[in-house]
Amino acid sequence: MIWQAIAAASPTPTPVTVPGAGIFSSPLLLSLTIWVPIAFAIAIAIMPNPRGRYDVLMKQIAFFTNLGVLFVLFIAYNQFQTFLPTMQYEEKVPWLPVIGATYHLGVDGPGMTMLVLSGAIGIVSVLASLGIRERVRSYFCLLLLAQATVNGAIVARDMFVLIVFWGAAAIPLALLILGWGGPRRHHAAWRLLGYWGLGTGALVIGAMTLYAVTGGASFDMDVLLKAAISPRVQLAIGLLMIVAAATRLPLFPLHGWARDVYAEAPVGVTVIVAGSASRLGAYLLLRSLVAAEPAAAHLLSPLLAALAALTVGYAALVALRTVDLRQTAAHLAMVPGGITVLALAALSPLAIGGAVLSFFAGGLAAALIVGACATLSDRAQSRSLQVLSGLAPRMPVLTWLLIISAFAVLGVPVLATFPAELMTFFGSLKTQPIGAFLVAAGLAVAAVALATVLRRVLFGAANPDAPGVSDASLGETWYLALLAGGLMWVGVFPGGPKLPGTDTPLFDPGLVNVMSAGISDIASPYTGPNPVTGQ
Amino acid sequence: MKDLVLVPEALVAAVAVFILLAGRLRWIRPAARRSLPAAVTVVVLVALATELWAGATLSTHFGGALVQDRFALFAKAAILLAVGVAFAVVDWTAEDSLFIGLAMPLLATFGVMVAASAGDLVALWAGLELAAATGVVMVALRRPDLALRLLVTGGVASALLLTGLAFLYASVGTSDLTVIREVLFNGVPTLALAIPVFLVICGLAVHATLVPFQLAGIPASLGASPLGAGLVLGLVAAAAATVAIKLVAALTPIPAVYSSFLEVVAAMAMVGGGAGALAVRSPRARIAYLAAGQIGWVAAGLVTHYRTGLAASLFLLGAFAVAATCGPAVMGRADGGEPAIAGLGVLRPARAAGFALAMLSLAGAPPLAGFFGEFAVAAALAQSGHFGLLALGILGSVLSLAAALGSLRVMYVQSPLEEARRGSALPVLTRLSSFGAGAFCVVIAAYGLFSNPILGLANQGAEALGLR
Repeated sequence: MIWQAIAAASPTPTPVTVPGAGIFSSPLLLSLTIWVPIAFAIAIAIMPNPRGRYDVLMKQIAFFTNLGVLFVLFIAYNQFQTFLPTMQYEEKVPWLPVIGATYHLGVDGPGMTMLVLSGAIGIVSVLASLGIRERVRSYFCLLLLAQATVNGAIVARDMFVLIVFWGAAAIPLALLILGWGGPRRHHAAWRLLGYWGLGTGALVIGAMTLYAVTGGASFDMDVLLKAAISPRVQLAIGLLMIVAAATRLPLFPLHGWARDVYAEAPVGVTVIVAGSASRLGAYLLLRSLVAAEPAAAHLLSPLLAALAALTVGYAALVALRTVDLRQTAAHLAMVPGGITVLALAALSPLAIGGAVLSFFAGGLAAALIVGACATLSDRAQSRSLQVLSGLAPRMPVLTWLLIISAFAVLGVPVLATFPAELMTFFGSLKTQPIGAFLVAAGLAVAAVALATVLRRVLFGAANPDAPGVSDASLGETWYLALLAGGLMWVGVFPGGPKLPGTDTPLFDPGLVNVMSAGISDIASPYTGPNPVTGQ
Repeated sequence: MKDLVLVPEALVAAVAVFILLAGRLRWIRPAARRSLPAAVTVVVLVALATELWAGATLSTHFGGALVQDRFALFAKAAILLAVGVAFAVVDWTAEDSLFIGLAMPLLATFGVMVAASAGDLVALWAGLELAAATGVVMVALRRPDLALRLLVTGGVASALLLTGLAFLYASVGTSDLTVIREVLFNGVPTLALAIPVFLVICGLAVHATLVPFQLAGIPASLGASPLGAGLVLGLVAAAAATVAIKLVAALTPIPAVYSSFLEVVAAMAMVGGGAGALAVRSPRARIAYLAAGQIGWVAAGLVTHYRTGLAASLFLLGAFAVAATCGPAVMGRADGGEPAIAGLGVLRPARAAGFALAMLSLAGAPPLAGFFGEFAVAAALAQSGHFGLLALGILGSVLSLAAALGSLRVMYVQSPLEEARRGSALPVLTRLSSFGAGAFCVVIAAYGLFSNPILGLANQGAEALGLR
């Protein structure tokens, strides 16, 4: 019944003004999500810490900073008006008027979804990092900076601001990998820099092309993404945006960083990269291609579908053959991204709704699979699938969490990825049938890969020569359980959690309506309710 | 009021001469020498304040040889800020001579100020040569062999420059920059004009240590004292870039005579600088190549031959001057290779932060001063349709960023080494240098975040050169 309701994409009642909305408001709500982490990162950086005396305090600062940001996001979500056809919480200050750059922030439904995801991942990444013992100050300073850059890229409404945060995100993450990563950390960090640098370059050239063809007066997305430009230019820009998104999400064949980064980065960093930083790629596609360049979106949708199918198929096949648990997880973490891109390629209202839900669900699923496998490898003191065997009796908590993560990647009912995938496949079967079929086939191969891994690692015969194992610590259980809990909550209530005192579900179709408002053939059938009757 | 605009130049030159004489004639007691850097820093900041206050007055001096306009105001203010901060951050125990170490950067600053205010070709050349000569003196204090190499290479560059300027004078019949521009409005691009411009660009590229013209500049900067390296990489290069901007502004009516060659030079510098920075391991060498890459971006802005492009180049030049001059200075003695900076983030956090920000800014990493400048240049390149050059610039920036992160890793991620393995002593902490390092960090961060008025002034500067 639940998915039938989703498939129908029926409108929900008007969120009438509710008690509590508007009590707390700030014109700098979105800025707070960027600058508060930066301010506390600077505070951590300059705080005296003789012989690591205040290491625990620094961890607490990072945790409560993220908790504070999540509280701000809770307020933002609580007061978000689902039916407004405009950006909300907008902030606009001239920054470089000579070239037309403004400090312009704002969110719509997909942006709000991404922000909530980023806030949740922020908390989870700190919890996953509690085991850090060396150079604690530098680690948490960089982690907060990474969090801030991701938030900045989500809320940017000016290409200049987007490029600033999009480009800046690579710096703290690369340093985190270089400083606290595994044996192949150098390889991982340089690959991340190389691929993300390529993507940033493509984004800059795409943004500059848009800037040039729209008269070179403004970098504001309201100008750049709503301008009527020729299909040929749209195609060029669309290709550049696909390159930018493919390096970040990642999509085959620009996925070269994913295996090393997911396998070598410290767990907290892996979670933030897989959970929120990489989702920016899909968000960019939605923002700058699907909802902005209709001609290019139509022309390039088969390419996107092909990329999605290749990504899912390749990731599943490689996961089937890899003998390193973290590398297997790294490849499986690419699967949700491929499904999101299939949803975007479909260009149907239902699929785009699925894509927005997939931002959230896919981010949590990818973070959960890489986090669970990394924690299991740490606790079992080995990453080799030839060594790890029969661990279920000795690590029951991690066993359950790994199983949930596998189910999340596959989109099993009761988990959030299920409605996202359902909406994606229902929405894409008509417009991209071959792509949808190939992605589904890839998903089947991924299921085989996951079953093989689970059978061998958890339920195989115990390996007497394997090093000693222990179950997840409290902090590790918490961070994985939060990810699993988020997936279950949204899976059980696919409309999203309803906040006390409000009637606004998180993933109301009205959220997506703003995105598709300019494009008639993908515009949601969803219509705003009658303000008088509320129906 | 009119002559007040010359006060900064007079202050800088007089203090430089006074310090040279005081050092030679022992006017200053040894006990008072300790506070000399702070006193000179204050004088430079007073000159900067005077420039910002009185420099808005438009005026001409010495029969049109010096012109005070918005361009001069911007360039002079940027260079005074760079030198003031450099004096504050430098570890004076790592310098070869206190008096020469103070006087030569002041004279180089004076040279840049003359070039920035130049109304004719002679003043342009004189300002650049003065700045370049001070670089030779600073290098000679520690490495006479490298100084000789720099002198010879600089001499060749000066010969190219002088020959080019002489031919240019012969072609247009005047040395006045404004008149050259007016004459060229009715001119056509000819080989007789293209050849001297080619020679001038070659000469300027050598002075600016642009890759692949870094024959002497980068090796000399590696052998010099920290402030000497800052002078060669920052001030001399800034002088060359200032001359280039003024000359290009005069030549914009016929861009065909320079744009193609300048485009090649800029592309090679941007990509070569990034690749060079990635290829070397020593932090000093790395910052030298990063500076070379960023000055390539300044050259790229000139290719557009529009006001927005030149304004962006000027804006970036300010960020470049501060980062390239202060970067080596803030590193202090820690110039003995990669081990010298291992764990510097723990041992000298303020200096490490300053060095890290200098490197990131020169690499064009967001959201620092260099990024904003490079972005402004990139926007101008897009407006003028130079997408190939833009792509190469981005490639260079990515390479530069990878190189900068390599040094950051050593500073912040590696554990500190003991003195014997480090290879060089740590920078000495003084109240002034700690304050200077903090101020430097603030300048690098604030330049970008508060770039609106700065870029606005740069835009007025480009407008003052007659560009629309």
